[in-house]
Amino acid sequence: MGYAAARGGLTAIKNAERLVRHLRDHDPSDPVGTAQVTGRLRLLVDKVMGEAGMWDPDLAARALLQAEGDHIEATHLLRAYRSTLPRVAVALPVHADDMRLLRRIVPAFREPGGPQVLGRSTDYSARMLLADAHAARDGTAPLLTSVMGKNGTTTRLTATLRRLDLLVDRRRTDDPEPVDVTSAPPRPPAPRSARLSAMARAETGSLINQWYRNILGPDGYLHEVTLGEVRHGELPVTLRHPHTGNPVTIGHYRATEVEAVEDLDGAGEDRERFDVGFGMCLGHNERKAIAMANLDIACHRDGGATTLEQSILMTTDGLDSAGFLEHLKLPHYVTFRSMIDRKFAVREARLRATGSGTQ
Amino acid sequence: MSTTLDGLVGSEQGVPFALLDEESKREIRRALLHAVAVPGHQVPFGSREMPVARGWGSGGLQVTLAIVGRDDTVKVIDQGDDEGVNAVNLRRLVVSSTGVEETSEVHEATIIQSRHRIPEDEMGENHVLVLQVPVPEPLRGVERDTRELSRMHAEADYSRMWVSLYEDIVRNGVITQSTGYPCLVNGRYVVATTPIPRWDIPRLHDASFLTLFGAGREKRVYAIPPHTTVEPLIFDDIPFEVETAEGASCRLCGSAESFLVSAPGDDDSWSCSDTAWCRRRRQK
Amino acid sequence: MNDPQRAVETAPAVLTVRGLGKAYGAVDDAVISRTGSDRGSARDPLSGSIIAAWDVSFDVAAGEALGIVGESGSGTSTVLRCIAGDVPATCGDVRMECHDGGTSNVLTADPSERRRMRVDKISVVYQDPAEGLSLGVTAGGNIADPLTAAGWRNFMAIRERARELLARTDVPLDRMDDIVRTFSGGMRQRVQIARALANNPSVILLDEPTTGLDASVAAGVLDLLRGLLEEMNMAAVVVSHDFSVIEMLTSRCIVMHHGRVVESTLTDQLLEDPHHPYSQRLVSAARA
Repeated sequence: MGYAAARGGLTAIKNAERLVRHLRDHDPSDPVGTAQVTGRLRLLVDKVMGEAGMWDPDLAARALLQAEGDHIEATHLLRAYRSTLPRVAVALPVHADDMRLLRRIVPAFREPGGPQVLGRSTDYSARMLLADAHAARDGTAPLLTSVMGKNGTTTRLTATLRRLDLLVDRRRTDDPEPVDVTSAPPRPPAPRSARLSAMARAETGSLINQWYRNILGPDGYLHEVTLGEVRHGELPVTLRHPHTGNPVTIGHYRATEVEAVEDLDGAGEDRERFDVGFGMCLGHNERKAIAMANLDIACHRDGGATTLEQSILMTTDGLDSAGFLEHLKLPHYVTFRSMIDRKFAVREARLRATGSGTQ
Repeated sequence: MSTTLDGLVGSEQGVPFALLDEESKREIRRALLHAVAVPGHQVPFGSREMPVARGWGSGGLQVTLAIVGRDDTVKVIDQGDDEGVNAVNLRRLVVSSTGVEETSEVHEATIIQSRHRIPEDEMGENHVLVLQVPVPEPLRGVERDTRELSRMHAEADYSRMWVSLYEDIVRNGVITQSTGYPCLVNGRYVVATTPIPRWDIPRLHDASFLTLFGAGREKRVYAIPPHTTVEPLIFDDIPFEVETAEGASCRLCGSAESFLVSAPGDDDSWSCSDTAWCRRRRQK
Repeated sequence: MNDPQRAVETAPAVLTVRGLGKAYGAVDDAVISRTGSDRGSARDPLSGSIIAAWDVSFDVAAGEALGIVGESGSGTSTVLRCIAGDVPATCGDVRMECHDGGTSNVLTADPSERRRMRVDKISVVYQDPAEGLSLGVTAGGNIADPLTAAGWRNFMAIRERARELLARTDVPLDRMDDIVRTFSGGMRQRVQIARALANNPSVILLDEPTTGLDASVAAGVLDLLRGLLEEMNMAAVVVSHDFSVIEMLTSRCIVMHHGRVVESTLTDQLLEDPHHPYSQRLVSAARA
């Protein structure tokens, strides 16, 4: 019994792998460790963790190094690793208000309840390529400065709108537990929590494109929202203690949260009020969370009239799209042989038809 | 931030038998049982991310890993070839994560995972054929909306498929569907026959082996249990044509009765797509 | 209301409609009392509900054609679409001899059963051929659709049946293998009629079948429909705002106004002696 390697396919693959490892690991420059990656390529690490649906900066950094910086490949490594892990517990729900804020922007109000916190951002800096990106090491850490709002406590814009009765109430009870999209693939019509989960794991660029093509492109299912909250900060992971039953915080992760205020202008919609879309993803990734919030409300308003929900659920995953695209590189000579057979069959049929007249 | 996971990466205890954790494997097996019970019906499952990319056999791999036991012997082919790069990669993954025997001989194998082909050799009740499926939805060519697609399958409303075949004949004089020919399974569900060539389609009908289809990217499995009717969608008065090449035979073994592949236009280059079958013929 | 049951039914009904209603928004007795012909609107000013059609009843026998006449927006097409299953009705009882022998309400049949009825029992001809046809498919392919749905599996037999139907509806046979998008409006409508007849339905519903066509083309289609209704023993319902269509195709008709039936009578009598003021206005406008 056995498998006879006849043509050296295995050897070729092993050599390709060795070449990757050798050229990557024996580059003459200084080696890079995971600490350098998490410390200096924070946003890349965050993006990979978000798309992988897994919080572990060290592993994400390791994946990025192994993948030579290809973020989709790194995401793949993390997700494939995750597939081998048993699910040991489900964390208790956290309230978004429990976020320890590192950044908070409220574009809709000049003076929102609570501070506008610019935090760590280059949004307002001139994009000039610096001769030496590390030149500004002055040793003293700057403060997390905030511009104070009307009062000290942070009040969500949506809370303000709700107080003014300017927000439609569509809290509902039929989607109490978030759908785990990794164990049950969502198809339209899906609960909102499934759409949000799918978007939280979506490839960032894909979600941005989904947003932009719906603003400018042929579909046009979206219109621009006004951002109520853009937040980045730290949230706890809390579990119930197996013996005492008390909640125990076992760690923290960072997340980006966005609330997007939508003007309702459709027939049959409440013209006296606004609605709100929600976006949240692991790590610091504002583009993704904003696109997500806008798509969330657009999908709700669409109500299944178009295939927007299908696009969101089924075309935004980075591993799905990239993998399928790249499978075109695999051998297809059996299928192609069959296609050629049909080309000749059509040609023969044409000859028969012109030779003996149509049926 | 995390220290507990570090120890798991690459360690012995970290990689379970057949890669997936037991819960995942049970879930996939449940979906497969459902699929066998309703032949041809696409059953959604919680497709896991595998160490191979979506579209590269991640569905077939999950099916194989979910059903493989320590006594199994696996054969993996791509385009009929045990030596195809993707076949090599998948086989090495299955074998290294399970320790099961590998083979290129159909009669030695219990599980045969394949992309795009059914082996030429006779298979029996002791075989499970696992086919990797890139696109499990046979109706996608006539409908894109998944809600409408579910309805069409639920109501066995396949007239649009028939219309597309009718239109094909009217326009082209023949049916131009090359591989993955749509088939009616058990008189009920139309399935996408992966893209296997039309040559292989008759092999699925009333087969004595079990065929499991795994579509990892689209998160669907479906099945053709042994001794199930599999009828290609074809009009009664139009012949179902398999691939032919007049006068062609394998340049290695001389076979004219197997599925042959070639470089286009080069008449001398025909060879068996099933390499193990071809090799055995030469040795006889 | 003006003696709605004036017409005498002669043959046994193949299609029976009782109390059919379609409301958009909440509906109760009060909403009903605030809407309708005598209230001058289908829209309830208090709730905003729209009573598109209410309390519609009629019978149609085999080989008979009933007209539903009214201005656009009066609820005529709504009634037709509720019967066809395109739009869910709010209430009512619709029975067809071809469905359970007329023993059960079609409106409460499950949606898949209703779609199946559309294959060979009920056909609809829409005002817009794009609604009843696939424009990117050939004329023959459009007819192959209901035939294959009904189980036809012989290519030549399908071709033969399509040829027969297209010949009957005056579509030039050399256009049979052209996609319908390349056809004129009149010819599209003829293909739609051919398709509707494919499986010899016992009920055919025609929704403004000639509206939008040039007068001469419309006259040709009307001639065709009249011939077909005479020779094929179908129960037909013809919705139109155009009295010439109603006059040519139907023997009995009902008049709808703001979602309600205001008159139910023989077509000849309606044209000579309309009772309801709205019918009188319609007839005099048509005669003008």
